[in-house]
Amino acid sequence: MTIKRMLLASIAIACVTAPVSASAETADKKIALSNNYAGNSWRQAMLTSWDKITKDAVSQGIVAAADPFTTAENQATEQAAQIQNLILQGYDAIVINAASPTALNGAVKEACDAGIVVVSFDGIVTEPCAWRIAVDFKAMGESQIEYLAEKMPDGGNLLEIRGLAGVSVDDEIHAGIQAGVEKHPQFKIAGSVNGDWAQDVAQRAVAGILPSLPEIKAVVTQGGDGYGAAQAFAAADRPIPTIVMGNREDELRWWKEQKDANGYETMSVSIAPGVSTLAFWVAQQILDGQDVKKELVVPFLRIDQDNLEANLETTEAGGVANVEYSLEDAQKVIDAAM
Amino acid sequence: MTALTAKPWVWSFAAAILVWVITVLFTGGSSSVGLSQATLTFAAFSVIVGIGQMFVITLGPGNIDLSVPATMTLSGTLALKVMDVQDSMIALGLLIAILVGVAIGIGNYALIKLLRIPPIIATLSMSFIVQSCAIWTNRGLRIKPPETLSDFTTSYSFGVPNVALVALVLSLAAWFLLEKTTYGRWISAIGQSSFAARMAGIPVDGTRFITYVLCAVLAAVAGYLLASFSGGAALNMGAEYLLMSIAVVVIGGTAVAGGNSNVPGIWGASLFMFLVVSMLNTYGFGAGVRLILTGLIIIAVILAAGGRRVAR
Repeated sequence: MTIKRMLLASIAIACVTAPVSASAETADKKIALSNNYAGNSWRQAMLTSWDKITKDAVSQGIVAAADPFTTAENQATEQAAQIQNLILQGYDAIVINAASPTALNGAVKEACDAGIVVVSFDGIVTEPCAWRIAVDFKAMGESQIEYLAEKMPDGGNLLEIRGLAGVSVDDEIHAGIQAGVEKHPQFKIAGSVNGDWAQDVAQRAVAGILPSLPEIKAVVTQGGDGYGAAQAFAAADRPIPTIVMGNREDELRWWKEQKDANGYETMSVSIAPGVSTLAFWVAQQILDGQDVKKELVVPFLRIDQDNLEANLETTEAGGVANVEYSLEDAQKVIDAAM
Repeated sequence: MTALTAKPWVWSFAAAILVWVITVLFTGGSSSVGLSQATLTFAAFSVIVGIGQMFVITLGPGNIDLSVPATMTLSGTLALKVMDVQDSMIALGLLIAILVGVAIGIGNYALIKLLRIPPIIATLSMSFIVQSCAIWTNRGLRIKPPETLSDFTTSYSFGVPNVALVALVLSLAAWFLLEKTTYGRWISAIGQSSFAARMAGIPVDGTRFITYVLCAVLAAVAGYLLASFSGGAALNMGAEYLLMSIAVVVIGGTAVAGGNSNVPGIWGASLFMFLVVSMLNTYGFGAGVRLILTGLIIIAVILAAGGRRVAR
């Protein structure tokens, strides 16, 4: 009990004394990553990037610690409890990939009230006291239709593969695709399935609807589902349409094979898992006393016909095309928002 | 005819055929071959995990295996890593998958028996351990299956998908085990009354142990096939199959309270589960409506099957 009390006391002292030295130095600051899910290759790449960049930062003495924490069950309640623990453990900043945009607001507010900097990314939180590094998912959806409109001016039937029903990212990308189709009415969404951002689920859903569909000119996707769609088309002996890919290595490799064999053309778009490292640097900059806008935008990572090979080379076999951000990149993003 | 409608599995087949007809009508019949082949392919995976779950559920109230998805993921991940795209390693990969299943089954029953943890908690905690092992093994990187294996799982013999033939062989073996062997009688007896079974001299612990191992092995084999079929193992590849494995058992007419199960129903239910989603997708329902309708249709089928049993 006394030890616990001493610990709490020392944390309290640390909290009280911290703001005094905050203006230029972050060497004694501790940053935590609160992550809601680790069960797919994108999240694994995200954690690996975090590990790589923050280990360097810690060994160079830029920050004192940068510990990642992942919840087991992808539940907002569990993550809220985790954030409360992180508050008690005396972290100076918490970087969050949130299970829900709204359900964590209470816990986030508690953290803010305790003087902790909260930066959310990818899965952002709406609580006004937190910073948000958002991706313009709607633009990501719309860019797919823009690309197709340029490539096939006559238009045609589209198959849309959506993500996980009920998740805000899915709604936003879908809204972008719909906006694109309204602008280019020569395209018609002939069928829509949920692929849950997973190859095998997408393959299963596409195989089920494909026999009932007319000729499909292109498949618009949300990432992680392109290769499964390609396999379903091949299994049904249908001509392969233009499938928009989502930066996974197997998708890119398949695209490369098709490109070499018959000049297949498409594009690939997703967010780089390394966005976690951008969030880390933004948190570090805020702790350093920099003036940072609450709303930041991170560009999505797009791969086209001409830079396919270059991206394929730098992507780990079986992984996801990735970019890790440096302190300078973060400063650029911060300045761009000013 | 009365003999036929008295069989609990008839309803799942009737529902599957009805849904198939409605789906095919959308295109005026031209999609019948394509849809049938796709249905058989994807139903095969549900059948394999469903049979394992069925044996466990037959053991009586409280018996369930929640480690099915994690087992599929770990066996797929490990097997593909060991095979490393070489055709000569296919048999070894299958052996690894089976061993993974055996190990997880032993682990599950050890938690249940030695630590006296209820199966639902024991298998859930086991699934966390197993899933973490899968993450740790390969950190979510996808390794391609060997060429021959991937060709086998994605092609057809006499117009029937090979994976469906594998599922058929496993189903026949399961049916034989359930209906024609002492072991099959034992699990039904335990499910009806484990106390009476013990008094009758049935080795209750041994039988339950074998059943949990059998379920894990079937899940592992399904994971091995699914990973080879879909071009690599993914960390979330088993997620779909937790509720699926339980749903096909229940819709297939197996008593949830245990003691009474049947293999044909698993097939009817697996075909039905794939077709329902395909039908609703085909008619262009949004995700929300689709989920509600799926739920309602499942309730209707279970009521139809259950209602007959009461009337009898």
